[in-house]
Amino acid sequence: MEKTIKIRTENLAFSYNGRTILRNTSIAFAENEISAIVGPSGSGKSTFLMTLNRLWETIPHCTLQGVVEMQCNGRFHDIYQKHYPVTQLRRQVGMVFQIPNPLPMSIYKNVAFPLQLKGGVTKETVRGRVMECLQKVRLWDEVHDRLDSPALDLSGGQQQRLCIARALILQPKVLLLDEPTSALDHTTAKAIEQLLLELKQSCTILLVSHYLDQVTRIADTIIELQNGSLIRAGADHD
Amino acid sequence: MKRFLELAVPIFSWLCGIILLGAVLSVVGYLFVHGWKSLSLSLIFGTTPPLDALLMKRHVFNGLFPAVIGTFSLVVLAVCLAVPVGMASGIYLAEYAGAGTKAILNLFFDIMAGLPSIVIGLFGFSAAVFLNRHFSGNIHPCLLISSIALAFLVLPYIIRTTQMALEGLPLSARMTGLSLGASRLQNIVHVLLPQSLAGVVSGVILAIGRCAEDTAVIMLTGVVASTGIPRSLLSHYEALPFYIYYISSQYTDSEELATGYGAAIILLFICLILFLLAFVIKKRVSYLALYRA
Repeated sequence: MEKTIKIRTENLAFSYNGRTILRNTSIAFAENEISAIVGPSGSGKSTFLMTLNRLWETIPHCTLQGVVEMQCNGRFHDIYQKHYPVTQLRRQVGMVFQIPNPLPMSIYKNVAFPLQLKGGVTKETVRGRVMECLQKVRLWDEVHDRLDSPALDLSGGQQQRLCIARALILQPKVLLLDEPTSALDHTTAKAIEQLLLELKQSCTILLVSHYLDQVTRIADTIIELQNGSLIRAGADHD
Repeated sequence: MKRFLELAVPIFSWLCGIILLGAVLSVVGYLFVHGWKSLSLSLIFGTTPPLDALLMKRHVFNGLFPAVIGTFSLVVLAVCLAVPVGMASGIYLAEYAGAGTKAILNLFFDIMAGLPSIVIGLFGFSAAVFLNRHFSGNIHPCLLISSIALAFLVLPYIIRTTQMALEGLPLSARMTGLSLGASRLQNIVHVLLPQSLAGVVSGVILAIGRCAEDTAVIMLTGVVASTGIPRSLLSHYEALPFYIYYISSQYTDSEELATGYGAAIILLFICLILFLLAFVIKKRVSYLALYRA
């Protein structure tokens, strides 16, 4: 059966301060799959993720060339089109960073924040969704009695799970994960892997990971980058 | 040598801190030693019963009450005028301005910060004269003109501290809100400003202190020695810094000079109350922005 493509890039090139980070990268990511992006440090993996939700635009002295298209209702849209709604894009493309980045807010408000920004939902709905997302990332049992405490008081692993819950609350169509389990212990990492396998039923997942055993376990496709160039893409796990 | 420096630098820094603390305590101590005897209800309310004065039933002719009210009104009004404009300018410089515009405006605000207060006072006086001649004969140097002139004086502090506080936030803080689907404005209002409130409040505190102590500006723009409580924004007013200046240059005996020291202590208390108010507002705003569900 032919796979439906969710995101594709064509001749994507990216430079920062005149230094080339990505060169002529053309990749297609299938819908409802986990695609793992691997490669040595500095090969452009994290930068590649940031080109898919236009987050790099907050960094000065960066330039991007090429095309990034996202499929929506059977049609591909160029996300770098002049009037493409970037806020809507980032609500559909959730992102979790390598270093946990909870906002200096309460645990509850951190998770509810994206939904509150989006608006148009009742307090009850927000409460229900917060609970659901915290349960999904196996954090609810640990924090349900202190939701008003500062999120920064949580441990590193708990903070990362909180960030994943926060990314899930908008029910994104695409999830960009930059080494999401690097701060987690083995058991929690396994639980997150299980969660990702469940999530791929409704979501396209792009995962940057240094753990080859993890990639082998959960990835449907592996993309290897080296010095900003694509050197391998496929389902071959060897 | 390296070992000596490792030891000498912290000791020198510690000493500087102690000297500075000592200097502040000396000034405050000196004020209290010379002024505590004059501190009494009669210094503030004169021969008027305090409750009658507070309820505005009777005028206070021989106390500092009108100057206390004048100073409080002046500082609050000037800070209320300067804070929104200063914060908005600081946000523009930190978040929206291009490199060229930023360089020009930064230079402009640096020059503005270096303007002597007497020049700003003169500007306020000229503005009052201009408005009187061309718009309304009712406009003359008054509480409003003084407040606007003082707001001009403290604007650069508020602009700079807001700008620095926002620019000092790490890139990751900026990216977090945006990655969660916040628009640029939402990111500033809900993520960046709450995180930089401490810096913004330090600018407001500087502004409060400067507004409370400045005499040159108000001398030219509406303060008088004895006029009672200001009845409107367009009326003359009394102020503690002017009273202190007036007494210290015109006193006839040591008792009168002591009332000047007493006025200085009251001025310090007013500043302290306003500082605390700024902190309480910061705490409350932080809580509402970051923790209210």
